[in-house]
Amino acid sequence: MFFVYSVYKRFRQLNEDKVQRDKNVKLSREEILKLPELQVNPFNDRITTVFSSSGDGGMTFEDFLDMMSVFSDNAPKNVKVEYAFRIYDFDEDDVISSDDLKQVVNRLTGEQQLNEEEMQQLIDNILEEADLDDDDSLSFAEFEHVISKAPDFIK
Amino acid sequence: MDELDGDLRTAKAVRDMQLHMKEKRNIKKNASDIRRQKTLKRQTKQLGWFKRTKYSIGMSWMHLKQKMAEFAYSLELWKSHLKKIEGHFGTGVTSYFLFLKWIFLLNIPVCILTLGFVVIPQVLYRYYMKVPSGYAMPANSSVSFTGEELLTGGNWFEETEMYYGFYTNQTIQINNLGEYDMKFAYLFTCGGYYILTLIILALSISRSYKMNYIEGSGTQTFYMVSRVFCGWDYNITDTAAASLRHKSFFNEMKEFLSGKKKPEDDVKKLEEKCKWFFIRLLTNLLILGTIGGLAYMIYAVSGRIETNTRILADLALPLLVSAVILIVPPIFSLIARIESYEQPKNELYMNMLRTMLLKASILGILVYFWFTQTAKRENECWETLVGQEIYKLVIVDFIFTLGATFCLEFLRRIFATHCCKLKNPSPEFDIGRNTLDLIYSQALCWLGTYYSPLLSVIMILKLFIIFYVKRISVLQNCRPSLRPWRAARTHTIFMGFLFFFFLMATVAVAVGIIIIDSSHSCGPYRHDSLGDDQHYYAYRVVLDLIDSWRGEVVYEIISVITSPGSIALVLVALCVGTYYMRIVMIGHKEMVTLLRQQLAMEGRDKAYLLRMLQEASKKRKVKPSNINRTLAPQTSSLLNPGERSPGMHQ
Repeated sequence: MFFVYSVYKRFRQLNEDKVQRDKNVKLSREEILKLPELQVNPFNDRITTVFSSSGDGGMTFEDFLDMMSVFSDNAPKNVKVEYAFRIYDFDEDDVISSDDLKQVVNRLTGEQQLNEEEMQQLIDNILEEADLDDDDSLSFAEFEHVISKAPDFIK
Repeated sequence: MDELDGDLRTAKAVRDMQLHMKEKRNIKKNASDIRRQKTLKRQTKQLGWFKRTKYSIGMSWMHLKQKMAEFAYSLELWKSHLKKIEGHFGTGVTSYFLFLKWIFLLNIPVCILTLGFVVIPQVLYRYYMKVPSGYAMPANSSVSFTGEELLTGGNWFEETEMYYGFYTNQTIQINNLGEYDMKFAYLFTCGGYYILTLIILALSISRSYKMNYIEGSGTQTFYMVSRVFCGWDYNITDTAAASLRHKSFFNEMKEFLSGKKKPEDDVKKLEEKCKWFFIRLLTNLLILGTIGGLAYMIYAVSGRIETNTRILADLALPLLVSAVILIVPPIFSLIARIESYEQPKNELYMNMLRTMLLKASILGILVYFWFTQTAKRENECWETLVGQEIYKLVIVDFIFTLGATFCLEFLRRIFATHCCKLKNPSPEFDIGRNTLDLIYSQALCWLGTYYSPLLSVIMILKLFIIFYVKRISVLQNCRPSLRPWRAARTHTIFMGFLFFFFLMATVAVAVGIIIIDSSHSCGPYRHDSLGDDQHYYAYRVVLDLIDSWRGEVVYEIISVITSPGSIALVLVALCVGTYYMRIVMIGHKEMVTLLRQQLAMEGRDKAYLLRMLQEASKKRKVKPSNINRTLAPQTSSLLNPGERSPGMHQ
């Protein structure tokens, strides 16, 4: 209960008036992005889309609670992996293709960008490590296989 | 009660599902409704009083447990501070603070153990028996607390429970409540906390090793994948930290890619190789020489300053040790820069290794001095003297830590922002150096707990203050580092260092108990002079105890266990076990490569079949999506049965 209440407080901070008036209000993506953790996150648009039940990036309190519980320390690892997969799957075709990988890397590097050749080499490296069945994209099973072995995987 | 168990099971299963909150709630409600109806159907007659009470008690117990768990979560030590640091600096700096917290918590059981079994009985003894002190010689009651003892740990402290020498060798008996033999209590408590610490350390080190090395490596390391998919620190809230993170990721990728290219033109000349080999040989010799020289210097100096009694003379040795530890490691890292390692990672590890070697040899030489010189003194209580020395080392180390934080972090920032415009106004927080300092101070504590039981209390206070000082200093003065810090992996290395120091301290204390004679006139193991050829050491108490059981079954059991034959048997059994494990491991590794090959084959099969089917479908005009659906589950079931497959949702 304590956790839910503290999440609610943070939700209310995003837009005091609206939430005060109607507890089930849906806040728009712009309002959700006021959260400091999300503001600086390069994948913030993906995160809001994945957790939004209506799919447009807007969130009700329940969606917000969903998001916070997945990002909390106590969430089960497989849930985290599942959501991470959905966040990195930009075109939502249920595999992380090389285009998705390119987007991920570009967002991580920020303003500076790797040139074409370097990018290709990087993606080849990643696929070489993780793509077990050589189909040039990562399925969920492959993603889970590698990510659960990475010790740094803490969201 | 069935219903209750069922509800708990549902809650657990639902938690692991990847669904929205609304759907989860629906599932939970449905499940519990169905269960309730079933229960009602089964029990036609009214529930008995007993059942009802049992159920409601179970219910409230469950709620209470959940409440307690939440309460404990909200109480967790320093949580908000840690979150704040994480938000500004990412997981690297936080790992230092988590390590500090871990050591802090590690000290608490040790502290409780010594307080409960050694200190409190002695206090009671003093209170009830009205005996002023544990020393056999008349106590110097004129000594009073002046304040300078806090630094030197001498005079007044010698007459308190602080040191070994004050403890009695009597059997404590209070109002016929039972007997309490201080001799055994002191020794067994000491053994108890070393074993306890050993267990805790071994458990956490093996967990960390398993997580980061065994599961993390396998036949192939997923370096790139983990760098890219775990590239973002999701806890960062600060804009500056975020832009820094982008930069550091970019640099790392660049570095890695340029490193990848190298092997093509890696045919270094023999000449070049020789040059680097000699340079590294030279620097290593230089560093070993420096360490040896410093250790000798400390050994020579520690014999000298005994005659003086003024404060500064008392503190000269600890000051020297702390100064060496503060000044020499930066010089080592300068030398490492000359060596120019290919990977910054190796440079870092090399530096840490050398620093640890320095600290270990200094401590080693001090222990050697204490056991060979201090322990030979006839009319003084050498255990108390050793305890005092360690106390001084701990205190001076504490002052140096605070001082270094103040000068290197606070003053530097002030100086840089107000006087001259440096390129980087605020210093980086050096995770490696700070963590190694923590390990060193913990090693001192382990070394000294036998000679000064209250040292763990001081250690707890020290860590508590350091946490707050460092927290404030980090947030005020430091800026996040550009170099990425792989927190999970270095943690294992730090644990390894800690474990190494623990073993060293344990060996030293064990030698002190088993081989070195205890003092004649003080402490729990005082004794009359036995003549030159006979020795009386603390461990003798146990031997005497075992001897007193002669003729009983226990004695036989102990003598069988300690006989060379049975020890050899245990050793052989251990070797066989290790060998068996190794064979199993090799087998698993082979299995993994086989499965991997099989997986690649399956993938190729899939691609081939798909192509065939597409060709066929072109002819027959069948939609390919149907074929996909029928094909996909077979291939993916090999990876992980029950997981969703890529083709399913197309």
